[in-house]
Amino acid sequence: MTKEKPLPIVEVLNLRKRYGLIQALKGISFSIGKGEIVGFLGPNGAGKSTTLRILSGMIAADSGEAKVCGVDLAEEDGEVRNHIGFLAENNPLPDELRVIEYLNFRANLKGLKGSRKKDRIRLVLDACDLDRRVSERKISTLSKGFRQRVGIADALIAEPRLVILDEPTIGLDPMQTAITRKMMERMRGEVAFIISSHILSEVEICCDRMIILSHGQIVAEGSLNELQDQFVDDVIFEVVSNASRIEMQKTILKIDPTSQIIQEDPIENSGKRKYIFSSKNKNNEDSILQDLLFIKEMQISEFRVAKPDLETIFLKATKRNWEIQDLLGRKKQKPTDLN
Amino acid sequence: MHIYFQIVKQEVFTLFISTTTYISSFYFLSLLGISYRFFLEFFSSTNWILPPLTSLLIGLLFGSPGLVPFLTMRTFSEERKLGTLQVLMSAPVSPTELVLGKWTACLMLLYVIFGLSFCFPLITYLIYPSTGISLGFNEPSQWIGIFSFLVFHGCTFTAIGIFASSLTKNQMISGMLTFSLISIYLTAIIFTFGESFPISENQGIFDYLESTILSLFSGLSQMHNFSLGLLDVKTIFHQITLTVLFLFLAIIQVDRIKHKA
Repeated sequence: MTKEKPLPIVEVLNLRKRYGLIQALKGISFSIGKGEIVGFLGPNGAGKSTTLRILSGMIAADSGEAKVCGVDLAEEDGEVRNHIGFLAENNPLPDELRVIEYLNFRANLKGLKGSRKKDRIRLVLDACDLDRRVSERKISTLSKGFRQRVGIADALIAEPRLVILDEPTIGLDPMQTAITRKMMERMRGEVAFIISSHILSEVEICCDRMIILSHGQIVAEGSLNELQDQFVDDVIFEVVSNASRIEMQKTILKIDPTSQIIQEDPIENSGKRKYIFSSKNKNNEDSILQDLLFIKEMQISEFRVAKPDLETIFLKATKRNWEIQDLLGRKKQKPTDLN
Repeated sequence: MHIYFQIVKQEVFTLFISTTTYISSFYFLSLLGISYRFFLEFFSSTNWILPPLTSLLIGLLFGSPGLVPFLTMRTFSEERKLGTLQVLMSAPVSPTELVLGKWTACLMLLYVIFGLSFCFPLITYLIYPSTGISLGFNEPSQWIGIFSFLVFHGCTFTAIGIFASSLTKNQMISGMLTFSLISIYLTAIIFTFGESFPISENQGIFDYLESTILSLFSGLSQMHNFSLGLLDVKTIFHQITLTVLFLFLAIIQVDRIKHKA
């Protein structure tokens, strides 16, 4: 019996949006499942914020479909938007209000009433670590970190099924970043998150999947492992051994003819050396390790597969797109075509 | 409707906690009070032909270009500048609800100020009943007529202010624009004072429209009727038309901002 796949929370199909001369989105399609945490990455002007604004119901797309909980945002009457939490970039908040007054207003706008409203406000204040003392303060007197937490509390207030966070951790100290991450961890599986961020290490830690945009197109999509497989041609190994460079070179070439040493560093006071080498053969880490361990003279004390981080993948994915398109997103003409 | 009331509630609250509201109201009412006091002192030696209560109406009407910008200039301009309009639009709020909500809140505050200014003749009447009676302050029809006149003009002035505020992110420019538009309107009604714009029964639709548009500015001529307690339906209709026009323009502008964001 095959397990039926649950309906996705977000379904985007061939979404297009143009601002004057600039085609911000060129027919992107993706879907996000219930409780998934998805990182939305891309250089400035890639179309991230436009996509997020369309998904939050703030602006309409020129064509294509953007569905949240199965309902097309272009046709819905507001009910679905009550269940979308949105933290805008720079998190604009009304300075003259107190935190509690602001959350009360937002809860009212999103249709919460009576005891349910009170419970939700209390819950999001707890979830975002905003105690009573802070909730009674005017927003204008709050630090950047507290303002960000108020924005996140607002995004969570109406029991959202989808939370869109545009640069949620920008300007936060490591402690506050950890609190935000913990908050998302607690809701993992229940609430779908879309996080747009330039802090790639942050996305790498907390997201199940990444979508990389460039020039209004999706240039990469998948989990970190999938992206590593997709974008990295060479596998990088780190080996710590007593063997000399010549011995190591000979042995490695015997095991894997495609491999070569790219760096060699002595380890202080141990007489050992750290070798970094690359191999064209993917997924043969286990066999290389076994073969190296089998040769006793090599005296391997450490073996590590150094996988590329998200930054490397991001740069590779977006570089491809930059090479073929100009600033307006049009295909670049080759120098020979100009004549 | 639920969203509309929430926005009204929030805007009224924001206006009442704003220092600008209190400072502008205080200065406006102080100036009006001082003018009123001198008017009463020198009333007998003037050629004033309208009921004395009309002095207050004229003070409020011509003081509006100075007062209304303080109430309306921050509504959309500040929200646009801070970016909070964007956040507001992420909730299920339509531009119509937003414009009407903000307009209603500003209008309510304007009515409160108008109401407070009417305390001057009321206090005069309560403390000096004989003076009050001699000035006609005991005539409810005059009070109703004058307040009605102000109610409808207040609707138009705040609608102009809301529209001006939706045009720019700069509060100062929004305030100056409101001041200019209301002043132009008041200047037009001063220069057309006493002129009549008759509607001929045999003329076509375009003549009727021209006559209607021209008579929009005959508001000041109708003030006499209002001050005697006679409600002129045409003036009320004209004020409603202008109010709807400016609110409609503001809604279009907010919708445009939403799609441009």
